[in-house]
Amino acid sequence: MTHLKGGRWANLWVSAGLFLLAGMSMMAQEQGRGDAQGAGEFAINCANCHGSDGQGAKAPSLTAPNIVALSNAELIRVVHDGVSGGMPSFAQLGDANIVSVVRYLRTLQGQGDMVGPAAATGDVAAGRALYFGKAQCSSCHMIQGKGGFIASDLTAYGRSHAANAIAKAIVTPDNPVAPDARVVEVRTKTGKKLTGVVRNEDNFDMVLQTEDGRFHFLAQSDLIDVHRTDHSLMPQDYGRRLTPAELNNIASFLIVAGQTTPAEPLPPGRRHGGGR
Amino acid sequence: MRIDQIVLGTAVCLLLATTPGDGRGQTAGIKTGMPSPKRHSPTAKADPAGDATGLIEVKQSDLLQKPTKDNWVSYNGDYTGRRYSALTQITPANVSHLVVKWVFHTQEAGPLEMTPVVVAGVMFITAGNDAYALDAETGKQIWHHARAVTEGLIDDASSHHNRGVAILGTRIYMETDNAHLLCLDARSGNLIWDVPYATGNRNYGATSAPLIVKDKVLVGTSGGDDGVRGFLAAFDVQTGKEMWRFWTIPGPGEFGNDSWPGDAYMHGGGTTWMPGTYDPELNTVYWGTGNPSPDYDGSVRPGDDLYTSCLVALDPDTGKLKWYFQFTPHNMYDYDSVQTPVLVNANFHGRPRKLIVTAQRNGFLYILDRTNGKYLYSRKFISNLNWAKGMDEHGRPISAGLTPDEKGVLVCPSQDGATNWYSPSYNEATHMFYFRSLEACNIYTAKTTPFEEGRTYYSTGLRRPLGEIGKGYIDAFSLDKLDFAWRDRLIGPTFAWAGVMSTATGLVAFGDDAQNFVIVDGRTGAPLWHISLGQAIRASPMSYAVRGKQYFAVATGSGDLFSFALP
Ligand code: HEC
Ligand code: HEC
Repeated sequence: MTHLKGGRWANLWVSAGLFLLAGMSMMAQEQGRGDAQGAGEFAINCANCHGSDGQGAKAPSLTAPNIVALSNAELIRVVHDGVSGGMPSFAQLGDANIVSVVRYLRTLQGQGDMVGPAAATGDVAAGRALYFGKAQCSSCHMIQGKGGFIASDLTAYGRSHAANAIAKAIVTPDNPVAPDARVVEVRTKTGKKLTGVVRNEDNFDMVLQTEDGRFHFLAQSDLIDVHRTDHSLMPQDYGRRLTPAELNNIASFLIVAGQTTPAEPLPPGRRHGGGR
Repeated sequence: MRIDQIVLGTAVCLLLATTPGDGRGQTAGIKTGMPSPKRHSPTAKADPAGDATGLIEVKQSDLLQKPTKDNWVSYNGDYTGRRYSALTQITPANVSHLVVKWVFHTQEAGPLEMTPVVVAGVMFITAGNDAYALDAETGKQIWHHARAVTEGLIDDASSHHNRGVAILGTRIYMETDNAHLLCLDARSGNLIWDVPYATGNRNYGATSAPLIVKDKVLVGTSGGDDGVRGFLAAFDVQTGKEMWRFWTIPGPGEFGNDSWPGDAYMHGGGTTWMPGTYDPELNTVYWGTGNPSPDYDGSVRPGDDLYTSCLVALDPDTGKLKWYFQFTPHNMYDYDSVQTPVLVNANFHGRPRKLIVTAQRNGFLYILDRTNGKYLYSRKFISNLNWAKGMDEHGRPISAGLTPDEKGVLVCPSQDGATNWYSPSYNEATHMFYFRSLEACNIYTAKTTPFEEGRTYYSTGLRRPLGEIGKGYIDAFSLDKLDFAWRDRLIGPTFAWAGVMSTATGLVAFGDDAQNFVIVDGRTGAPLWHISLGQAIRASPMSYAVRGKQYFAVATGSGDLFSFALP
């Protein structure tokens, strides 16, 4: 685990529009504070709702992709202001502790290796060519308005993920599979077999989207068999198909795309992702 | 136990309780596990997965379809703006059995003014800057594109009203409160592009639904009470590149600029805040323009104030003006002309004609020849009208000379208009034109005030005459008789801004002034069915069908969407 540099966090305070002065002076003290501080604050303040590993308890998981995708500034704002759906404000913790908690949260998310704005060390143009070409990422994932629809939009992904985290996500996908991304196979009473991704489900109905984009509106009572696999549609073999250099190029393309595309304004406490 | 196991278990239990049958359309009721009479819809497909339900691929021919049937592909249903559905399952005889099928609640939204778009059983709606795709049979959310509403807007845009999406191919298009045109993938809700299209004056906003014409998507703005310069702009459906822009306020050197001394044209209003209509055979789009700005102070904009309070006929390929017709020259009463210009092919004085029928906020119903904009007919449709003494033979109103001043002058109809943006409907079966009207007056005051960005530009205000209560009506105008067939008074505490639609079986549906959704017999106005929705209706209804079942849907004032069908 590498320590985050004060300068980056100072910028975040400014971009989050919070505590302009306090943020600056705080950074001085911030140097040298270790993870222990954040871990302790997390255990006292967050674990009872989000679980001690952040994987969710009464409150949602903080390691879900859509939370990972939030920028540091957004996380700081969430913790400081709270969210209307039951997430309290922790303004009283003080700026330094909020930063420590968010920093610790990043390690729980497996993002602890992220230092400063993620560095793009690869060949961005080659990464783009792979994304839209040989690697066929674009057949499933949209980025900057181009590409498929069955998997999540990756435009913002590189904003909150370091190159090695991205490479890891590509070569070891579904680790574990996000519940709403798993491939589901169903068989209807009329003998129809469908394989796709569930977009909505309750005890009565299921909306299954197949890879051709079509939504299948199914009644649970018409389903003879529902098989929920433990994998998503993301190919499992990129580790063999792509060299480390190619992976780094793709990661660099995602990082640069994330950092150069203006973010859509999100309602407080909500976010995009997962094709939802 | 994990959720998936619970669901599987339930599915198995339900199977036991279910008689063989195909698809949701036929086993509705049984699949809930609740005792419920079994009903078969005669038109339901034997293999529901065998039809095109769920596949979003809208072709030009789908957009050109008229009248609308299963799909409702644009704000008004089809290009004519008739808001008329050819569906016939629900009739005067069985409409009393209608039930609520589902309710969808949008998050963080105020009153909804949108009309859903339905394609292949998928419904697309908006609330503020959010877009949703729903299963049109169950109201279950398929995806949600969340986007924060914009802070710091003024006037209408600050209420974040939005009237819905346009659709073509696998994409939907919507306007945001701060006048961006968004293109989203209809299969995922993901953003394809985002084009800010109104810059240079932060009083611009947008509240409408875009209209797709051929390979372009047409959008307008709000802000006509706030000193913006109105325009209609067309963007390439693929790339979002601007193809043309028609300014509703002529610039220096252009015809009509004489009303706009100095840089007044930059603040002249005439906004395009409702969708227009389109005649593919005449290759013409018809678009209504809003009031001039400032609203009540006419002294700073002498003359007719073109092209405010007009209908403009444009070439959709170039944006060039073909003709215009002005309803309220030198308007000082906020009478926008954005009410849907409905395209009707009908006999007029015994001859088949291509007409435009429109009931205007200024209190007159007009019939124009849409091939050339010639005035054919007008009729006052409210009893309280004092701003005009009559109409000359060209359809130009004879002004009564009521000029708002610092003391105030009583003018009828009121600023809210004798009718307004809520939709009218022309019905092919009854040959009647249905619309909502309001009898009310205002005392208008005026005071010259300079334009300032960030502030409204009404140049003073209004009050209600002491003790006056506005009265709402639904009106039916017969094109055969050129006369009103009926007029129903809407009793209730608050005038609702709710439009009208009609169907091939002669049903007319609308929200009344007492939070009811009502369906009446279009021939007589006799009520056939109603239901209280517990909240005011501020939107116009539509109708669609999935797997042989016809639905009515309407959005409401507290952010909900209701869908109704026969049991
Ligand atoms: C009282 C229970 C509770 C506690 C304590 C709590 N949270 Fe939450 N948190 C929630 C709930 C509930 C949500 C979901 C809110 C929603 O999405 O509407 C949430 C959401 C979040 C989110 C996601 C916000 C988003 O944009 O979706 C983050 C990040 C978060 N919490 C971090 C923390 C951290 C860090 C702490 C400790 C400082 C903490 N929470 C303490 C209940 C809690
Ligand atoms: C056949 C479809 C498909 C292809 C091809 C594909 N992916 Fe994926 N990918 C998925 C799905 C499905 C998921 C899991 C859920 C989601 O994010 O939509 C996923 C997940 C991911 C994630 C994790 C997202 C998150 O939010 O946690 C990343 C990063 C990713 N893919 C990148 C790539 C890259 C880079 C490529 C090309 C080298 C690629 N994918 C190719 C379908 C695909």
